[in-house]
Amino acid sequence: MRKLLGLPTAWVGLVLGLIAAPALVFVNTPGLRRALESGQIADLGYENLGIGLLGALILGVVTVSSEYTSTSDDAPDARQMTATLLAMPGRSRLLLAKGTALSLVVAVQGALTASATVLLTQAMLPKYAPPFEPARIAAAVLYWVLLGLLAYAITLIFRNGIITLTVFIVNSSVVSVSYLLTKLTPWAAYLPDIVGAHMFLRSNPGEVHIPPVTAGLVMTAWVAALLALAAKLFARRPA
Amino acid sequence: MISIDRVSRSRILHEVSFEARPGRVTGFLGPNGAGKTSTVRILLGLDRPSAGTATINNRPYASLPRPLTVVGALLDGSGAHRARSARAHLRWMAASNGLPRARIGEVLEIVGLTEAARKRAGRFSLGMSRRLGLAAALLGDPPVLVLDEPFNGLDPAGIHWMREFLSRCAAEGRTVLLSSHLLDLPVDDVVVINRGRVVAQGTAAEVRGEHESLEAAFLSLTGAASW
Repeated sequence: MRKLLGLPTAWVGLVLGLIAAPALVFVNTPGLRRALESGQIADLGYENLGIGLLGALILGVVTVSSEYTSTSDDAPDARQMTATLLAMPGRSRLLLAKGTALSLVVAVQGALTASATVLLTQAMLPKYAPPFEPARIAAAVLYWVLLGLLAYAITLIFRNGIITLTVFIVNSSVVSVSYLLTKLTPWAAYLPDIVGAHMFLRSNPGEVHIPPVTAGLVMTAWVAALLALAAKLFARRPA
Repeated sequence: MISIDRVSRSRILHEVSFEARPGRVTGFLGPNGAGKTSTVRILLGLDRPSAGTATINNRPYASLPRPLTVVGALLDGSGAHRARSARAHLRWMAASNGLPRARIGEVLEIVGLTEAARKRAGRFSLGMSRRLGLAAALLGDPPVLVLDEPFNGLDPAGIHWMREFLSRCAAEGRTVLLSSHLLDLPVDDVVVINRGRVVAQGTAAEVRGEHESLEAAFLSLTGAASW
């Protein structure tokens, strides 16, 4: 583990290259565009940041699912994961490298999108827009990163990106199941996707008020738990 | 040097043991479903055995710090994501093991894919995918080659080329282990596996024994003659 962290940037670069090619194409178009578009029509820039997280989700999913798609019709069982594990047989190291790369890409993308959205909102609607607060932007970025990692962990558990994407996209854009659950029990506010929003939204999604720091900690705990489960499964399962 | 020591996997492999030595082509032969690929995957750390050890130069594959510089492996398919070009695929593999970029051009040249370097791997023919897989295996100029059914999907010229190539590798002192259900191969040593058990091993001449050909020996060993 130490060794990996000590290794040159080649590591990060490698995994970046590994995911960036297919991922960035996906992400930058829908994620960025949607965030910007909605930034133009809505009155509170921060609220729209929730939509841009689709980008983070897709990145998190693609990081794993690209490994598990079949490489060709001639060999339906052949997957890139084989080549990846041949190059990097240390499985925990591999997961760490991928997680690091994912977090970096999402953080950069999130910072750019979030700042742009909020600034654009100010430009469009100077009267209503809240002030540009770096702390809230940072919280939003952190939310994205955690959500990306959440998608990463869940995809790793199911070894299939479609399940994760369906659940998250439906949940975040059509009907929020988590949000509906908050109507039944206040505890649902602590579900991973909804609790994180408390980090940067002040108008309390759901009825429960959770302080930003608590929200961040709760979401981090969720992500950590799921990552741990995913890592355990990944280490055990045949490739 | 490859050592497989009493490797078992429930219902698939039963105490499989053999060695592949440097400077020789070792043919790991058996009918489909005999356990060849399972053994190779265990050797490469992709699957776990339920018992036994598989090592390369006395180390399990997973503990090799820069595995591509020790072992070149060719498995089913190219291992490249469909959307990535041949060159991009080799680039991340090279980066992962700290290999120089210049090596990418060299291996593409060796397998004859220089022209197709920018093409997406998803659009490769079967033969081209195999060549790309081989290019990846050769990236680290490894002293050990492990090839699972390397002849699958190759055209006659490709098969001829692969035979020559394998013999050359062994002549250079490399350890070459190739699994195949084909028998007409330029192998020095032979390990025959059937239903998860090694049924014969030795030099090609030893395994052939009294039989007129390796094929006849193989058929009698695996009981396939009774078909």
